[in-house]
Parts: sequence; C-alpha cells; structure tokens
Amino acid sequence: MEAINERELVERCRRGDEGAFQELVDRYKNLVFALIARTVQDRSRAEDLAQDVFLRIHRGLPYFRGEARLSTWIYRIVANVCVQDRGRAAPALSLDDERTRARVTPSASDRQFGDLELRDRLEKAIARLPTNYRLVVAAHYLDGVQYEDLAEALALPLGTVKTQLHRAKQQLRRLLETDLR
Amino acid sequence: MFCDEALESVEAIAAGELNPDGRIAEHLKSCPNCAAALVSARALEGMLRVRPAPKPSAQFTTRTLARVRRARWRTEQFLDVGFNIAIGVVVLAVIAGIWMLLNRSGLVAVSNDAVDLFGTSLVAFARRVSPSLPLYAGATALLATALAIWWWAERDSTL
Repeated sequence: MEAINERELVERCRRGDEGAFQELVDRYKNLVFALIARTVQDRSRAEDLAQDVFLRIHRGLPYFRGEARLSTWIYRIVANVCVQDRGRAAPALSLDDERTRARVTPSASDRQFGDLELRDRLEKAIARLPTNYRLVVAAHYLDGVQYEDLAEALALPLGTVKTQLHRAKQQLRRLLETDLR
Repeated sequence: MFCDEALESVEAIAAGELNPDGRIAEHLKSCPNCAAALVSARALEGMLRVRPAPKPSAQFTTRTLARVRRARWRTEQFLDVGFNIAIGVVVLAVIAGIWMLLNRSGLVAVSNDAVDLFGTSLVAFARRVSPSLPLYAGATALLATALAIWWWAERDSTL
C-alpha cells in the first residue's frame, strides 16, 4: 500500500505537482534532517545540507527509475551529501572543548546532570569518528532504517555495514573510556 | 588471544545480535577486563538507543520549497537566454545566407531596386499613419506598462 502511494507520489512530483513535492518533503524531512544533523552535528549546516538533499531529489526525480525504494534512494543522496561535506567539516573536537558545550540541547525528560554530561560526551566522541562511521551510527539508531537499506544506500555488502557499525562502537567505547578515566 | 576474540564480539552481544556461546560466555564471566568491556558496550548501546533525533525547524518545508523554486527559476532563465542566443544565431545565419545567395546569383541590382521600392512605400505609409501617431504611442506605452507589471509580478513570485 505504502509502495503504491510512494509510486504515485513520485509520478505526481514528476508531472510538476508542487503539492506532491511538498508532501514528499514533509514525509522525509525528519528522517533526512535527523540523519544529517547526527552526522555533521551543526544545526544550521545540517539544515542547509538537508535542503541540498531535497534539491537533488527534485532534480533527480525525472531520472528515478523506481528500481530501489524511494527511501533507499534518499539515504544514498544523504550519504553523498554528508561525504561531500566532509572536506568542509569542522576540525575534530576535544571531548573537553568548552566551545562545544552548547551543542547538545537537552530534552525535558532529562532529569540528571550525569545523563546530560554523558550524552554531551557521547556527542563529542561521535564528532570524532570518521564520516562513514558517523553516518552508519546515525542511521542505524533511527527508527525504520534497516541494515539492508543502509547497505543498499551506501552500495556496500551487508556484512561490511555491520562491521563498520561494530568498529564505530568499539572506537566510541574507547574514546569514552579514555575520556572518563 | 581469547580476550581479543571476546572483545571483538562484545558490541554484537550488547546489541542483542549475538548470543555468546559457552566458551565466550565462560570467558566473559571469568575475565574482568572483557566483562567490563561488555558492561560499557551495553551502556553505550543504551545511550545510542535513546539518543534524541534532532527535528528540523518549523519553516523547513517552506524554505526548502522556496529554494527549489529559486533553483528552477535560475534553470529556466539559463534556458531562456540560451534559446534566445540560439534564435539570434539562426536569424543571423539566415540573413547571411540570403545575402550570399543574392550576391552569387547577381540579384543584388534587383534587390537594390526592391530596397528603393520598400523605402518609398515606408515613407508613404509613415505619412498616412502620422495623424494617428499619438494613439499608437499611447497603445505602445500601455502595452509596455502591462509587460513591465507582468515581469515584475513573475520575478516577485519566484523569489
């Protein structure tokens, strides 16, 4: 059912229906933005890059043949945009860098300072991972993103994606342990 | 050697993707380093699972659509300019071709007579039209104003 809707939506977008494209943006903006914001860790840059993604989607829709799912194609565009942005990325941050303290905005459910401190350190540790690891970690822990989708989007074998995720977590664990010691 | 093997699996065990077999399970119980690694891997897994997903701003869709419209407008402008240049080149080529054809076929003298005839007709036409000139000028100004308003409205809606 959803696949049919997706196909209809793509067809309407191809015919130049602006309402359909708005629907597409509304449908995927949370996923695209969350993926990018978790990877580049700079809100305004993430918003710019997310708009870039939708611009590329708009340009590419006439050539989208529907062989892959629309969401997979969108992940692929997100991955390309994030990798291309790597050259302009900010230098790696120290986990104790005071300038980065304001980056993590706590949600209302956070009760303990310890949790916030840990989350802050986690975000800074993630910022020090290579882009491909950051992307895999960002995507894997978002609802609805499967290993298979990621493997197809990144054009990597399933096993490689799993290995990259485990390596990323090992590296994160080491970074956090070294920092807390 | 066995610690290396166990440490390679702690992420998968913490994520619930791997059930430790007897040998690894025994090792994780007896080796404090590997047990501590599993504890921290589980803690990390927990933190990653509850990591909040950032949401885009409320104006995200509007801004994105405006950017798409701007990009499309730029592309159309580019195509328009390209099309106009191509038409200009074609017109010039046709004029040059006709001129060369007239030159080669010796029809230049005939065409000079034709130009004279055209000039005389133009003067006669101008004399006949001159009394109504203010009316034509007014109509032209009205048309130019309408075109200017249309251009302004079109430009404004694409920004």
